[in-house]
Amino acid sequence: MPRKPIIGWLALAAVLIGFPLVFTGAYYEQLAAFVILSAISASAWNLVGGYAGQVSVGHAVFFGAGAYMPLLFYKLWEASPLLGFPAGIAVSVVIAVVIGVPTFRLSGHYFSMATIAVAELIRILVSDWDFLGGAIGLMGPATSRGWWDLVYRSSVPYYYIFLAVLAVLLYITHRMERSRLGYYLRAIRAGERAARSLGVPVSRYKLYALMLSAGFTSLAGSLYAVKFGFVDPGSTLGILVSVQMVVMAALGGAGRLLGPLLGAIILVPLQTTTNTFFGGAGTGLAFILYGGIIMLLSRFEPGGLLELWERYQARREARMAKERALVGAGEDHAA
Amino acid sequence: MLEPVRTMLLRAENIRMAFGGFLAVADAGLEVAEGEIVGLIGPNGAGKSTFFNCLAGDLKPSAGRVLFEETDITEASPEAHAALGIGRTFQVPATFEEMTILENVMVGAFLRHPREKEAREAARRALALTGLDRLAEHKAKSLGTPGRKRLGIARVMATEPRLVLLDEALAGLNPAEIRQAIELVRVIHRSGVTLVIVEHIMEVILTLAERIVVFNEGRVIAEGKPREIVNDPAVIDAYLGRSHARRAHQP
Repeated sequence: MPRKPIIGWLALAAVLIGFPLVFTGAYYEQLAAFVILSAISASAWNLVGGYAGQVSVGHAVFFGAGAYMPLLFYKLWEASPLLGFPAGIAVSVVIAVVIGVPTFRLSGHYFSMATIAVAELIRILVSDWDFLGGAIGLMGPATSRGWWDLVYRSSVPYYYIFLAVLAVLLYITHRMERSRLGYYLRAIRAGERAARSLGVPVSRYKLYALMLSAGFTSLAGSLYAVKFGFVDPGSTLGILVSVQMVVMAALGGAGRLLGPLLGAIILVPLQTTTNTFFGGAGTGLAFILYGGIIMLLSRFEPGGLLELWERYQARREARMAKERALVGAGEDHAA
Repeated sequence: MLEPVRTMLLRAENIRMAFGGFLAVADAGLEVAEGEIVGLIGPNGAGKSTFFNCLAGDLKPSAGRVLFEETDITEASPEAHAALGIGRTFQVPATFEEMTILENVMVGAFLRHPREKEAREAARRALALTGLDRLAEHKAKSLGTPGRKRLGIARVMATEPRLVLLDEALAGLNPAEIRQAIELVRVIHRSGVTLVIVEHIMEVILTLAERIVVFNEGRVIAEGKPREIVNDPAVIDAYLGRSHARRAHQP
């Protein structure tokens, strides 16, 4: 039995590492890179939205901070975009504290509301701020001046960079699940009053989760910026960016290690296809798609696809055990 | 016979709790010595639950103060109460449904054991104490009412408390389950934990508590040993009724 999870992990790693070697061509490579990038941001959201159950609908603000910083460093000082990565993380963590400290003392939906409000406010501010390129946005280096610019023609190097970051994030999440932080977050999600009575400093742990989540979401934004070489308010700070993280994590299974990755594997290709077919109208279509998924999930399967699968497995095992018992009884009769 | 001198663990003085114009607790106090089992009784709406929540840190009283070993904890948060060694259970057991029974108890154990391995061991001890060890890997949502109450107690015991406030730990149980639960409360008491019990079921309080405090209309109307309480005319009037007093007199 203990060997089984390891085999599963190795198989998953083999599929993810081997994918660009099997499915070649710019379309598949770009799609695969975008799947992994989306999985990073959704997994980062999952830390606070899934495990701690604090549903943020404004994570675009962290994604945007991460996306703008590397290109701002390039614009101002022609510095390597890499230097902007830690700056993005720092800005995001500060924003997390500013949102989290006042709202986490209140229970209910105050946090969700506050995240939407702050994210929209910042999107509007950035759209009007010439220093950050206004509505047009910022550009990165067009040609590579060295490896530190992270400029590649092909999507494949990005794919492997994203995959490495995702692996680190999932490893940290996996460790967190087995630590006090992980247990406390799940307890907070299940019932704050009971958690507090057992000595869980609820607001403090929610804030830790949000800070960790903000940092990794910012990293996803920075990776997005170096991959596409250009950022604007709509594509990095828009509410669709936030909603996408929520829907991906929820579809796969919020509060589960591999839920967001599964959600990204399903949703990103779907979304890319609709965009290809409908062109400019695709943005509106994405909203309809997300709305539909949210409705289906909340009506039929709030636990996401992984929970559906687990329940199916449990039922199958119960049925098999019953059949074995019947066969055993039959043999007894024969003897 | 002289009673052994016991140190004072918890003291609530002149607690008053108003919700808008409604005075839930007018003026109530309580002293609990180390090692005691104190029962809190009173009719519905007498203010005992509100008073109880003031002791647990869930409510901040409008006036008065709560001392734990002479430290003022009136303004302390529920988590600070837990850290000081004051545990509580809930009338409606607030179990973490999607977590296993062991994981539920580990949340409590992490308070004194930050490392996962030690927390797991401490949780296992609490489960053994409460007789839930066989069900450790089951989800909490698979439990019925008696199991949930038991889990609530296991969880709070994992925080290694000195004082436990039990909020109607026996409500909703059948007679056999009540007997088991009483035995569990005795086991916990023998392990050195002081107990304050809010309870509706009179028989339970009479068997368990060494001292009973009776609430009515936001005030303490009587206090004493179970035998004194059942004979107190004020208590009989407010709460017990004459028939109960007669029954209690029978050998």
